[in-house]
Amino acid sequence: MHPPRSLPRRGAPPMIGTAGATDLAVRTEGLTKHYGSRAVVDAIDLELPRGVVSGFVGPNGAGKTTTLRMLLGLIRPSDGTGEVLGAPITHPASYLSRVGALIEAPAFYPTISGKRNLEILASLGRHDRRRVDALLVQVGLQGRGGDSFKSYSLGMKQRLGIAAALLPQPELLVLDEPTNGLDPAGIREVRALLRELADDGMTVVVSSHLLGEIQTICDHLVVIDDGKLRFQGPVEGLMSAQRAEVIATPEHAADLPRLADICAAADHLARIDGDAVHAVAPAEWAAELNRTAMAAGITLAGLAVSRGTLEDAFFAITDNEGHQILAHAPDGGGTA
Amino acid sequence: MTGAFFSELLKLRRRGLLLGGGGLLLGFTALFTVLGIERASKTPGNGRGFHVSVAELSRPDGLVRGISHAGTLMGIVMLGIFAAAFGAEYTTGALRNLLVREPRRVHFLVGKYLALLVFAVVVVALACVVSVVLAFALAPSKGIDTSAWTSSTGLADTWRAVWHLLVASLGYGTIGAALAIIFRSPVAALAIGVAWLLPAEAILSNLWTNGQDWLPGQLLSNLTSGGSASVSLTRTTITLVAYWAVVSIGTAALFSRRDVAN
Repeated sequence: MHPPRSLPRRGAPPMIGTAGATDLAVRTEGLTKHYGSRAVVDAIDLELPRGVVSGFVGPNGAGKTTTLRMLLGLIRPSDGTGEVLGAPITHPASYLSRVGALIEAPAFYPTISGKRNLEILASLGRHDRRRVDALLVQVGLQGRGGDSFKSYSLGMKQRLGIAAALLPQPELLVLDEPTNGLDPAGIREVRALLRELADDGMTVVVSSHLLGEIQTICDHLVVIDDGKLRFQGPVEGLMSAQRAEVIATPEHAADLPRLADICAAADHLARIDGDAVHAVAPAEWAAELNRTAMAAGITLAGLAVSRGTLEDAFFAITDNEGHQILAHAPDGGGTA
Repeated sequence: MTGAFFSELLKLRRRGLLLGGGGLLLGFTALFTVLGIERASKTPGNGRGFHVSVAELSRPDGLVRGISHAGTLMGIVMLGIFAAAFGAEYTTGALRNLLVREPRRVHFLVGKYLALLVFAVVVVALACVVSVVLAFALAPSKGIDTSAWTSSTGLADTWRAVWHLLVASLGYGTIGAALAIIFRSPVAALAIGVAWLLPAEAILSNLWTNGQDWLPGQLLSNLTSGGSASVSLTRTTITLVAYWAVVSIGTAALFSRRDVAN
């Protein structure tokens, strides 16, 4: 689905235009937003493919929501250009009828019922108001549509927000923290819904702090930090960019130092942790370690490969201060 | 624009607003009408407040005395309704949902404004009907002759007073809408609007000789009372229309250009 792209060295210019314009739901070049002298979004070049679930990840204040707001015509960019569904972001009226969005917390009129709130939006966007009931069922709010919005729990408000975003039967669905406040069952339902929508051809953009959630539901990933684009590409691209760890457990603890020496001799950084040796090495090297250890008279009671999580990958790209710390990135299929 | 118009009408059809805003307007009109008639005396009044005589109320324009007296308070309520309708979009955060569905901001603004105008027209018309019915019902008990009210002059005076009240209410409403958009808050809009229109303008008009010619609250008050010796109705109307145009264009420009960042 995604052509593999190699990670350039740190400081190298981001790769732009590697996919055809028609394959992209969103494309920006140098998209920038300044508030005073501070760049909240700093020259971002986005490429979000059509028909997939793209995840927007970044720490608080990274610029995710500001970027999404610029794509939705709510905020005027200070600089740069962009296209959404092939139309320029300077003319949001030309594409927003094909876009559904839930930005930040779901915001509706508190004293009006959930159903009436949706009808107001449907009327405003000249959408079919008869879809409202079906949407309430789709998001699990059947039977509660007549209740005032202020009486809803956070999870119910979130569901109403998703229903509102689905009103225009969008080609592009933009959801900012869609599982916020949902219980585990609700989170699972939303994941399934997003997957189903993407499988039906809808492009979905999800912003979230929950890296596990992003890893579960997203095909494509965008990492933004300190207003800058740190990575974009397939999720597996970022994951494979993470060096695997080979974990070997000898039968006898006394063999741990010799096992660590074997790893070091093969130029793999190793440390002894508990009853095992952890070596930073490609997964394929595990078999060679097994052979070498056996030849040295060390019997392995356990041998495993840990590839790391998206969280590991995320923190490899950003640190807590939002600075890029990935000094060298192995081939992985993405731009950073 | 039609989408914004009809969606705003949907929003306005809620019990709290109809009973609160609408009820307040009808209540003020009824109160002023009843007080005006019940406090009418046989001796001539001084032309101010409720101190009108039975003879004055028996004139062709006597029917609409109550409506005219309620003008400023009705205007303040209308300012509050418009300010709440526009300011709540910011405080609830609903504006970002709305502008995604209708990104043509001037269309959105005009559609919403027109819906509120329709609401204002209906409520003011109802208030006038209530006032007229009450006046006819109470007049005989105070010995007020109502025959002049139904004369051609009386009907013309009544229509003119209702029209002026309606235009003034829309003027107050426009001030409320503009302040709500500028300050992005209904509470700030209401507080600043009321503070300006009542105490601030009262002080300014005492300090500034020509204040009544230019201050918007004074002009709107002058309109509801049918003009005064110092400022003609024509001049009042022209000045108010000029203000309306400037405020409308300026507010629309601000609304269409400003980021929706909350």
